[in-house]
Amino acid sequence: MALLNRKKNSPQQIEANETGSSNLETAGLSQGQIIRKRFFQHKPAIAGLIFIILFTIFVYTASGIHLGTDANPITIKGWWQFAHTDVPPQGPCADGCPSEVHPMGQLPNGRDYFSLVLRGSEISLMIMIVIGGLSAFIGTIIGSVAGFFGGIIDSVMMRFTDFILTVPFILIGAVIGYNLGNFGVFPLAIFLGIFIWPGLARLVRGEFLSLREREFVDAARVAGASNRRIIFKHILPNSVGVIIVSTTLLLSSSILLESGLSYLGFGVQAPDVSLGALISQYQGEFIYAPWLFWWPGVIIIAIALSINFVGDGLRDAFDPRQRRRISRKERAVETGTRAQVNKS
Amino acid sequence: MLAFIGRRLSLALLILFGSTYLTYQLAAYSGDPLAGVRESTDPKKDVIIAELTKTLQLDVPPPARYFLWLTKAFTGDFGNTVILRLPVVDQIAAAIPITLRLVLAASILSVVIGISFGVLSAIRQYSRLDNSLTLLSFFLFSLPIFWIAVMLKEFMAIRFNDFLVNPTIDIVANILISGVIAVIIAGFVSGTKKRVLLTWLVTFGLFVSVFFAASATAWFRYPTMGIFGIAILGIACALGFTHLFSGLGNRKALGAGLSSVVLGLIAYYPFQAIAGPGTNYELMLALAALMLSSSYFIGYFFTKIDKGPVIRVAMLTAFMVSLFTVTDKLMQTWDNYFKLSDGRPIQTQGSYNITIFSNDFWVNNLDLVTHLFLPTTALALGFAGYLRYSRASMLEVLNMDYIRTARAKGMPEREVVLRHAVRNAMLPLTTLLTFEVAGLIGGAIITEGIFGWRGMGSLSNEAIQSQDLNLLMATFAISAFLTIMATLVADLLYSVLDPRIRIRK
Repeated sequence: MALLNRKKNSPQQIEANETGSSNLETAGLSQGQIIRKRFFQHKPAIAGLIFIILFTIFVYTASGIHLGTDANPITIKGWWQFAHTDVPPQGPCADGCPSEVHPMGQLPNGRDYFSLVLRGSEISLMIMIVIGGLSAFIGTIIGSVAGFFGGIIDSVMMRFTDFILTVPFILIGAVIGYNLGNFGVFPLAIFLGIFIWPGLARLVRGEFLSLREREFVDAARVAGASNRRIIFKHILPNSVGVIIVSTTLLLSSSILLESGLSYLGFGVQAPDVSLGALISQYQGEFIYAPWLFWWPGVIIIAIALSINFVGDGLRDAFDPRQRRRISRKERAVETGTRAQVNKS
Repeated sequence: MLAFIGRRLSLALLILFGSTYLTYQLAAYSGDPLAGVRESTDPKKDVIIAELTKTLQLDVPPPARYFLWLTKAFTGDFGNTVILRLPVVDQIAAAIPITLRLVLAASILSVVIGISFGVLSAIRQYSRLDNSLTLLSFFLFSLPIFWIAVMLKEFMAIRFNDFLVNPTIDIVANILISGVIAVIIAGFVSGTKKRVLLTWLVTFGLFVSVFFAASATAWFRYPTMGIFGIAILGIACALGFTHLFSGLGNRKALGAGLSSVVLGLIAYYPFQAIAGPGTNYELMLALAALMLSSSYFIGYFFTKIDKGPVIRVAMLTAFMVSLFTVTDKLMQTWDNYFKLSDGRPIQTQGSYNITIFSNDFWVNNLDLVTHLFLPTTALALGFAGYLRYSRASMLEVLNMDYIRTARAKGMPEREVVLRHAVRNAMLPLTTLLTFEVAGLIGGAIITEGIFGWRGMGSLSNEAIQSQDLNLLMATFAISAFLTIMATLVADLLYSVLDPRIRIRK
């Protein structure tokens, strides 16, 4: 009962503050509950999460849902009146500046910029999810197998990782753009996802290298658990924090990667648009029609920033400090590849 | 160890072979190198196509053509570019110095800024400073570089050049700008509200008067620092470094720092005489070496015990004073350069101004600086990565037992941080740094493209755009080689620096 009726400055509380442990706050809670509680205390992360969810809903309801083939389309119309391929007549503003009909202005050829930005955001979000999901999947598998088995398997897998690291992203974009341009952006996202996992794989490997030496793994093995069971039931749940955190970081780098590729002309191909392609196309308009340049950039920043905040909140929630030590070197490699993606 | 290196090197060759093979196939299937010729209306089109097919060996399928390329590459023959028929090797040899110039400055800046702010941020975890730096670094992480580059061009080059026509800051703008700067600086201060407010007021007053003076004397048009400016900045540096490395209580360190400033000031007038328009880099480097070595001896003979921090303060101060002296010299050239560049000194395109023909060493270097300014700023924003990373690493180290031991034995906090924490926290950054060094040659594709620098990045971009396999493979092979070497060097360096890590046989 003392725990339930604790006052703000009770001796236990003071002790907890001084030792930095949060036994009182977390007493009687399961691991998942603790993590959820800590995450919900992180205000920027919650703000970011809410923004991402609302923005996704906003984007997808605005343009509607388009499924099915060209001959037999299944379409649910969204609440926004123009599609990104429509060419509406001249709006109230003569030089295409923002007005109530076209909130983000109009292009010289009459297309509604708001619907283009919506379409671009849709594509960018889709690419982000595909790249992030795929590379998290591959990276986790490769990293965990290499880290768990070690020895020859480890070196083969890590040299393979080095090999993937040397393939330039821009070339993949160019190949996909040239050969598969007609299939749209989905193959591009898939292929980029296939090549972007090395950082995550190294991180997961480091985590597995340290976890496999722990007592609970020995205990599981003595109890007769198979390798597969140890990997998936014992070690993986313990490294899920690291994986989730770096996946969120991967998500935000992949949206920047896609916009960089589109900027160079290797990403999303016309007539489809992405946020990066829009910026690249209208950077020359910065002086005469600045809204064409501002909006896509602001949206990219908003998405990437919110995801980074969510990632930060998750990191705090899973707090790897003290409980698990990740090899610092492995984390350096992960940040290194991330920095490279951001840089070029 | 040797066996390990040997094995890894042979594996590296294998990986290099594999990745060049894959790249060759990807590149070969990414387009048609003859597309440009096919679309032309040249009556001799068929002849040209036949000829190009022969010289580029396009009749051989790509999986086999790779080996033709490989055998030639082994003899050092990387072929010619497709369109202009220039040797690829020459193109690359011309591009590497340009890229190095661009990326080296930005890398050094981002590493220095990132690490120092990261360490600061970690020491004051969850303070106002830490929170603002975290927010800033997340913001920079989310910034597409081409977007910020367009803004930089507009606001830091075009508008600034316009401003130089009439370089006066009106009083409203002055108060606004100074207010914002003061808010930022006051944000770095921790402590009571009163202290923060006081800092804000002092900074605000300082900046208002500085901007007022700059506006009244048209400083931006006729910038000058002079021997007094160097003296003031030099003394500030000496105080700052002493505070950082040994505390102001250490009179020996302060004395050594101030002596370096005096040395720099004594050298000021002789420097003006020596460093005329006809000077060269060798002489400049020799002077810098002289300055640094003499400051080393100043530090060495200033004290008998604990020479390390004293020498460090003396040398860093001397370095900064030399930097100020060179900046002063460039400022003296500013007016001349301003006229030569038709009143648009800050450049947005290219790596040098083709309309300026000058034999003046300082004009040429100022030209280099004004061209470097924007792309370097854009690239240096990458410091956010180093900031986040050194912060995380530092926080982890600060929680270690040996830090507690050091504190418990009564070591001053400065020593604990500088001697025990920072050094260990920097260990994992070696991996990051090796990748940075490998990236130096590879260049920055997007940045080079935006600012029109013809470095390695734009070269490989161009190669992909024009399906130029020879050029592409040469640039790619270099960067792949460097990436593989970086992973190897990182592994080795890390095990050398950190004895806890052992290379598994």
